[in-house]
Amino acid sequence: MDASFLDLMMAQQEESFEEAEGGGGVWVVADVEGGQIAPVTLEAVGAARTLAESLGAYVYGVLLGHEVTSLADSLYQAGADGVRVGDHPDLDSSVLESRLAVLADLFAEEQPEIILFGANATGAALAPRLAQRMGGGLIEHVTAFSLEESSRAVEAGFPVYGGDYFEIRACPEARPQFLTIEPGAFAKPFLDEYRKGDPTVLDVEPAEPATRVLGPAEGFEAPRVPLSEASVVVAGGRQVGDFALVRRLADRLGAHVAGDRGAWDAGVIDSDQIVDVRGTTVSPDVYVAVGIRGDTFHNAAMESAGFVVAIHPDRDASIFDVADLCVEARPDMVLPAILESLR
Amino acid sequence: MRITVILRRVLDPAGIVAHRRLRRLFINREEYILQPADRCALEVALRIKDAGDAEVVVVSGQPEPSDDTLRRGLAMGADRAIYLCGESFDDADDAVVTSVLKTVIGQLGGADLVLAGATTLDTGQGQLGIRLAEALGWPQIVGVRSVEAKNGRLRAVCQDEEQFVLVESDLPAVVTVCPEAVKPRYADGVRLINVYRGQGEMAESLETWDVGDMMSADELVPLLESRGRDFPPERTLGERVEGTPDEVAQTIADALRQRLRG
Repeated sequence: MDASFLDLMMAQQEESFEEAEGGGGVWVVADVEGGQIAPVTLEAVGAARTLAESLGAYVYGVLLGHEVTSLADSLYQAGADGVRVGDHPDLDSSVLESRLAVLADLFAEEQPEIILFGANATGAALAPRLAQRMGGGLIEHVTAFSLEESSRAVEAGFPVYGGDYFEIRACPEARPQFLTIEPGAFAKPFLDEYRKGDPTVLDVEPAEPATRVLGPAEGFEAPRVPLSEASVVVAGGRQVGDFALVRRLADRLGAHVAGDRGAWDAGVIDSDQIVDVRGTTVSPDVYVAVGIRGDTFHNAAMESAGFVVAIHPDRDASIFDVADLCVEARPDMVLPAILESLR
Repeated sequence: MRITVILRRVLDPAGIVAHRRLRRLFINREEYILQPADRCALEVALRIKDAGDAEVVVVSGQPEPSDDTLRRGLAMGADRAIYLCGESFDDADDAVVTSVLKTVIGQLGGADLVLAGATTLDTGQGQLGIRLAEALGWPQIVGVRSVEAKNGRLRAVCQDEEQFVLVESDLPAVVTVCPEAVKPRYADGVRLINVYRGQGEMAESLETWDVGDMMSADELVPLLESRGRDFPPERTLGERVEGTPDEVAQTIADALRQRLRG
């Protein structure tokens, strides 16, 4: 075998390697919250890392804001291979157009394969606009994904009817694939302090904003959400002891106060606050049952809640059949400590 | 002022059961309701109409056993309803619906304001309105609580983190409305009866447009395709928290904080 043949073979191998790399990698658009990288962004970088390793691609972070360059380190530590920073006073405020212009130019040049956003207000406003501009498919509020290797398409699942079941969708042909990552759905990656890099600085040309924020809306009060549509409910029952503690917990969690029929009999709640199939049926994300024994009527009216915490002194109380966290204790013993811990 | 409201329908969640153990979805009662956020968008449009002079056109394009979505819109007070249909349009995703709506708005002679729901009750996707804003090249205001239109300007209240802020935009614009923004009105009884009987001034107001006539087949190819469903694991008995009251309280507080984050 002569050397030229070896050279040829190696050249072919190199070529095929570049092909396999394909596309322009997995990109994460970072969010800044209170002077730090938002937790959902770090989770998205972790998710991007998983995708990139299966695809044989690199992970890039895009960080836009004012005086944010120093935050690029956290993106490297979370697993980004490269970071692009756009640092400009105009990118700090909620001016959509400037961010949109920077991202559109960047992505038009880099041709990413997958672009991840956090599923928050910024992601909800930016991702669909970019997807429409670049002709890509967008799947929002993704909580799980797998990769279809033949088409390099992400099969992403998102909750339907608040998590009753999950719908799985994929974008088989159009690129880039846009995903917004639901906060808390993916594990926060390990921050490796020894991972470092030198971020590339982007040119920023401020764009004319199309909407103007005039300031706080004076005198505007949002209509009260009815109990049946509440996302957090704290309910008390006969064994609650001091009902004021329930109200304080509800205040602390920004929750609706409710109770079972026993609480209504005791006169501590109104009739429209009864959680019961004959009263109000609720399906909140979080339901805290304090001193509620949990009869059939009550349990049937709240069993579609996402996460149930039950506190009751009786070990055999049927509320524990439908609860995710069960505390067998007198509510007035643990509630003050819970209030203290939530401070 | 011409306002276009996009209406969509959703299977009434009271009629379906997602069975975790059998990993199947049972549709016990196939009944469609208006998407709550779209219903609020219509209410916002009707309030602008009540306050001044406006024509409200409702547009819907999802297949359903009856064209209830639009009839409900007309009964609530819309002036004109356009039902989009077409075989290849039935499994359209938001990108396809966007390009169809852009054409529809063009054929209607434009609009000053387009209102849509900020999210959907079932899939929670909020991209349709914003995609349409980009396709039309108009400004967008996302997730508003109330809207006021005066002298070619639009003022909307939306939530910015903890507080409510006032946002101003020029018209035309696309605005998406939160599902809990306003309390939608009940349909007027006489209008309701006339809408369903096709009588009076309502007789002509429900039109059917064929999407196949307006768009080429290439434009109706969806970007996304469905890859089935997944179900959460079967509910098991919850975890018992043991320990001193302080330890228990810490566990509960951590769990609550984690669930309520974001």
